[in-house]
Amino acid sequence: MLGVDVGGTFTDVVSVRDGRIEVAKVPSDPATPAAPVIEGARRLGVEGRPVFNHASTMGLNAVITRRLPKIGFLTTEGHRDMLTMGTVWRPLDAQTDAGWRRSFGDAARPLVPRYLRRGVTERLLPDGSVLTPLDEEQARRQLAVLARCRVEGVAICLLNAYVDATHEKRLRELAREVLGELPISLSSETSPLAKEYARASTTVVDVLMKLVYADYATELDRELRDLGFAGELNFADCAATLLPWEAALEQPFRIVVAGPAAGTVSCARLAETLADGNLICCDVGGTSTDVSLVRDFRPIVSNTFELEHDLVINALSTEVRSVGAGGGSIVSISATGDVLVGPASAGADPGPACYGRGGDAPTLTDACLLMGLLDPDGFAGGALRLDVELARAAFEALDTPLPLAQRVSFAYRIAAANVAEEVIDIAIRHGVDPRDFSLVAYGAAGPMLLPATLELLHVKRIVVPPHPGLFSAVGLLSADLVYSDSRSAYVVLGPGTAGTVAAVFEEMEERLRRRVGADRDDVEIRRSFDGRLYGQSWETPFVAVPEGPIDEETIPELVERFHDEYERRFGNRFPMLPVQGVTYRVQLVVPTDKVEYARLEPRDASTAPRRTLELRYLADEPLHAAEHERETLSSGSRVEGPAVIREALSTTFVYPGQVATVGGVGELVIERTAGAD
Amino acid sequence: MEATTVSTGATLIRDLDANAFLQRYRCDRFTATVLASRFGYVVEHMCSQLLTTAFSPILRDFYDFAATVTGPPSADYATPAVSNSIILFTGTMTDSVRNTVEEYGPARLEPGDVIVANDPYRTGTHINDLLFCRPVFHAGELVGLVNLKAHHLDMGGSVPGGFSATKTNVYENGLVLSPRALYRAGRPVQETWSLIFDNVRFGSFMFPDMQTICANLELGERLLLETVERYGAEAVLGAIEYVCDAAAERMTLALEAVPDGIWEAEDFVDCDGIDDTEAYRVHVRLTKRGGRAEVDLSGTSRQARSCINGTALDAKSTVGTAFKYVLDPRTPFTSGTLRPIDVVVPPGTIVSALPPDGAVFLYWEGTQALIAAILRAFAQVLGDAAIAGDHGSANLHNAGGVLPNGTPWVSVGQCGGEQGAYGATVDGDADTFTLSYQANGIAPAVEATENDAPVAMLRHEIVPDTAGPGYHRGGSGVVRDSLWLQPAHHYAMPLRFRVPSGFGVNGGGDGETGGVWLWEPPADGVVRQRGAGEDDYRDAVPVTGHLDPETHAPSRSGEYVWFGREPLWRTQPLAVLRYVSNGGGGWGDPLEREPERVKVDVRDGYVSVTGAARDYGVVVTGDPDDDPEGLAVDLEATERLRASRREQR
Repeated sequence: MLGVDVGGTFTDVVSVRDGRIEVAKVPSDPATPAAPVIEGARRLGVEGRPVFNHASTMGLNAVITRRLPKIGFLTTEGHRDMLTMGTVWRPLDAQTDAGWRRSFGDAARPLVPRYLRRGVTERLLPDGSVLTPLDEEQARRQLAVLARCRVEGVAICLLNAYVDATHEKRLRELAREVLGELPISLSSETSPLAKEYARASTTVVDVLMKLVYADYATELDRELRDLGFAGELNFADCAATLLPWEAALEQPFRIVVAGPAAGTVSCARLAETLADGNLICCDVGGTSTDVSLVRDFRPIVSNTFELEHDLVINALSTEVRSVGAGGGSIVSISATGDVLVGPASAGADPGPACYGRGGDAPTLTDACLLMGLLDPDGFAGGALRLDVELARAAFEALDTPLPLAQRVSFAYRIAAANVAEEVIDIAIRHGVDPRDFSLVAYGAAGPMLLPATLELLHVKRIVVPPHPGLFSAVGLLSADLVYSDSRSAYVVLGPGTAGTVAAVFEEMEERLRRRVGADRDDVEIRRSFDGRLYGQSWETPFVAVPEGPIDEETIPELVERFHDEYERRFGNRFPMLPVQGVTYRVQLVVPTDKVEYARLEPRDASTAPRRTLELRYLADEPLHAAEHERETLSSGSRVEGPAVIREALSTTFVYPGQVATVGGVGELVIERTAGAD
Repeated sequence: MEATTVSTGATLIRDLDANAFLQRYRCDRFTATVLASRFGYVVEHMCSQLLTTAFSPILRDFYDFAATVTGPPSADYATPAVSNSIILFTGTMTDSVRNTVEEYGPARLEPGDVIVANDPYRTGTHINDLLFCRPVFHAGELVGLVNLKAHHLDMGGSVPGGFSATKTNVYENGLVLSPRALYRAGRPVQETWSLIFDNVRFGSFMFPDMQTICANLELGERLLLETVERYGAEAVLGAIEYVCDAAAERMTLALEAVPDGIWEAEDFVDCDGIDDTEAYRVHVRLTKRGGRAEVDLSGTSRQARSCINGTALDAKSTVGTAFKYVLDPRTPFTSGTLRPIDVVVPPGTIVSALPPDGAVFLYWEGTQALIAAILRAFAQVLGDAAIAGDHGSANLHNAGGVLPNGTPWVSVGQCGGEQGAYGATVDGDADTFTLSYQANGIAPAVEATENDAPVAMLRHEIVPDTAGPGYHRGGSGVVRDSLWLQPAHHYAMPLRFRVPSGFGVNGGGDGETGGVWLWEPPADGVVRQRGAGEDDYRDAVPVTGHLDPETHAPSRSGEYVWFGREPLWRTQPLAVLRYVSNGGGGWGDPLEREPERVKVDVRDGYVSVTGAARDYGVVVTGDPDDDPEGLAVDLEATERLRASRREQR
């Protein structure tokens, strides 16, 4: 199996064969993005591989940098400003900042400038009736303007088109007449969900992604075949579920980004392996720490995703929250003398001061180096020599009377405290108790920082998976192949409504089955709906819908399941209120190959440390910590803290008062020793 | 040499050595930093849980609540953390908790108590905002309180839900709760619960929200107690002081950077719900000396005769908010923020009303005029940092009726002028489609609105040439046309159309004023889109605005039209209601705006070809509608026009 994660700096191609994980790191190249992927695949070999799973941040990068093709947007007359309005709200920390601007607003950097957003005379009402017929002459005039401006694609989102697509479809025909063959996305096909803004922005992003991904994907497929690859090329979506690439290109808004979700999927696979279904997933990256949850062996998924603040798309996505505590997060001093970590980051370029690439701001990585946690000669498998003096100089340059020791240790401990608070917050948001969860520490710097949070958080234990630096990429080889569809219909669930709900599900399921291949009987169908208590302005998503035909007897069960789900999530139950179905969802899960963790045979390995290290700044006196090589440890080995466990791309720091035990697949399980406080 | 603040001579906090820091704050610097963020996280966690579990949309969509941690009475209720929720509550929280606990009696408090109060004259904001306080005890000592104030759906009174401009006294307003126990030692106090639920509508929705809030306070208490147990009560109390000192110091330093002086400014609320004989003035005299400032509201109009008043606590809160906007926009609010600022509030004004006649409900309309007056005063001295005016009002619209099958329906805050312009700043052109400077929230989707009520939103977009021109342009006026498909009655509460709320700064122009109009159902039954130009209003019924008597279009030289002449506006099927919100103010001289940027505005329809010449002195040629990319700037003609404009000044 092969997976590729195309990042901004590096393209990582990961191979798993017989439980052995290999990686090829190739510098990314925005000019020819397929080339590094092919190069990595060539190095690892493609022959005999069943799947090549692809994740990329290419779409997101194109949106964030606004290096976007020029497209037009057609909507109902009077509503072209829905794309500059969004859902209106400002970020809470900018509430008294008159300098803040909506990033995608006309006053900043719109995805589609206002003159290319055109109103069309037509109007549907929410029951599908026509208030104003489509004025084709007026529509042609608007299309003629778009033609004159030479747009490369068109997004069409009319009000209430989730109920009836007739006007949108006719507009597409007119657009083809006037503009010729170019990518067009209709909101009624892309994401037929109620609430126009998210549907419109999803449709806009969909057209943009068609233009961004089409040539790239075709080229990738062709060149992989040329190398001798005979398996399936799949693209990962925002929830890191997989789709065959041709299917992905039919709704490419789903694949706008797939990076952070892969780590959560990897955790879900680990959960199965360890038979531990509740995990807090913490990925310490270069710029931030990403926190997400796996509950009952499944990632917690949201029904929308934000590309920027309030730039919403209707993509199922793994819910990931970021806190500015990554390896490259910059350490600074507040006006009143507090040591702060993040949210600014030195990123990969210039990177931490100790990289010697011109960065002069101290970072979390510099702090770890000065503490003695990082080996200056063994970083990233020896690929980069770290310069302790540069790190020291960066910390010494901070404008504060604090001595160096405190600058460094405060930075490290405050980063850990920030991550701990984010973990508490995400747990509260989902109504779960961290004491029932294990915390998975990954990302190259995860095992170095996160054991410190065990002193602040009440979690069961910390788990460091095998190859923590590659763990996210391995998630691409742990994912399901999922076809999904959704559509909206406001239905107050009661007698006489089964027909409507059944028809919605049947239509979606039939279409999905056609796409998968009608003869397959090994697929799992998952149905759910998003509903609301009548009078509420938001929906409670993913209420499970039973299998089998939907009839009048199913409806009361849907209502009951809604109340159950509402109570589980929110703690209250309102049986006296009517339940309104809003959006209905179907997923077809197709079996696919996944990574298997190799069992580690217990063997009589000594746990004698390689040497003893001196760790500075954590306590008044230097700590003496045992240094171990991870590969010399075996299942059942115990390492008492303070200790440092090294491997090629990572370092684990076992805190004083903690003990690490090696588990069945080589995972390190870190717990507090009894009586430690 | 150590840096010191000019005005006080005190050592800056950042320059304190370890010993001095420990002496002053009873903890080391690391602990203080961690606790500072801990207090912020405690209220954030409380909010997260409330937002997850709350029933009512107003909490979820408008963050109409606030959570705080406060110190005990011995620390004078110092408040190190106020949640990032609705701005209007921010600066009222310390005083409202102090007033509530002091009146109840701190000595009576015991673990497990929850005290509740809602009287605006004691706790600020309005009667639907219930304040809940829970004491936190450690080793028998009161170490602090966790508090939550949240909007509730109804508090009784003569108007369901309470939103109205016409209630004339506290008796019409609804149930007044003086501070009292809701829980004692963990047990519910039956008579308090009964008092509330015997007097409010929608009790079955309010009850679970109140339970949720009490559960939230328990979470806050647990988090604060864990903190005290980990770091010790002395360190926690010291850190509370540290956080508030730090905020005060930031404000002091920011004030020191402003030249000394005295500046006066005023702004207006159009009228009250009784008649239009009186526009209510909010007058500000801002004095700045060294690191301190005084805001004197003497000269502000008497309290209004209907429920558009605010209280002194709201006035104080708004002063804090205005100073944050101007001087310290991004750091968290604490009770220390206001320390260097004195606020002089005469009793019985529109922003400091007194019971029983100074009824309080739409309190934010008066304080919006106050924030505008303070920003106007600051604009006289701040130069580049001046902030222009916004659309100025919540412009709330509520409607209701009964469907042919007998089902009642309501539309709340979905079809008025709720979203509008911001003012421009040095950072660039302003956004349109925001709530006003003291609010924030999620706007309802058109499609959701149309599912909730028999209405079709025909138009929700910017109006060309309504933004205050400037080197940076203000946000635009927003037109919203709603077509009513069934008979309907409307509560209109527009209060800021008489003078432009979107004042320009640094030579920028004012935004145009908007208004509210009605069109009767068309005789032929055919629904048409209407423009928003000067001649499009002749056949409209003006509801409110400063309008030309002939054309009914907004006009500076026209007359004010009072919305209250119909207490309830009734419409028949296919009537159209229009709101146009005020444009935001411009920043800097519009004649200095690069002609290319003016051309882009013409291309995008923010400015017309005519408006480009009139407001910016830029001559744009071409057809923006049919050939937007074919526009050009006639540079020579522009030079001439701009030169003659400058001469005319």
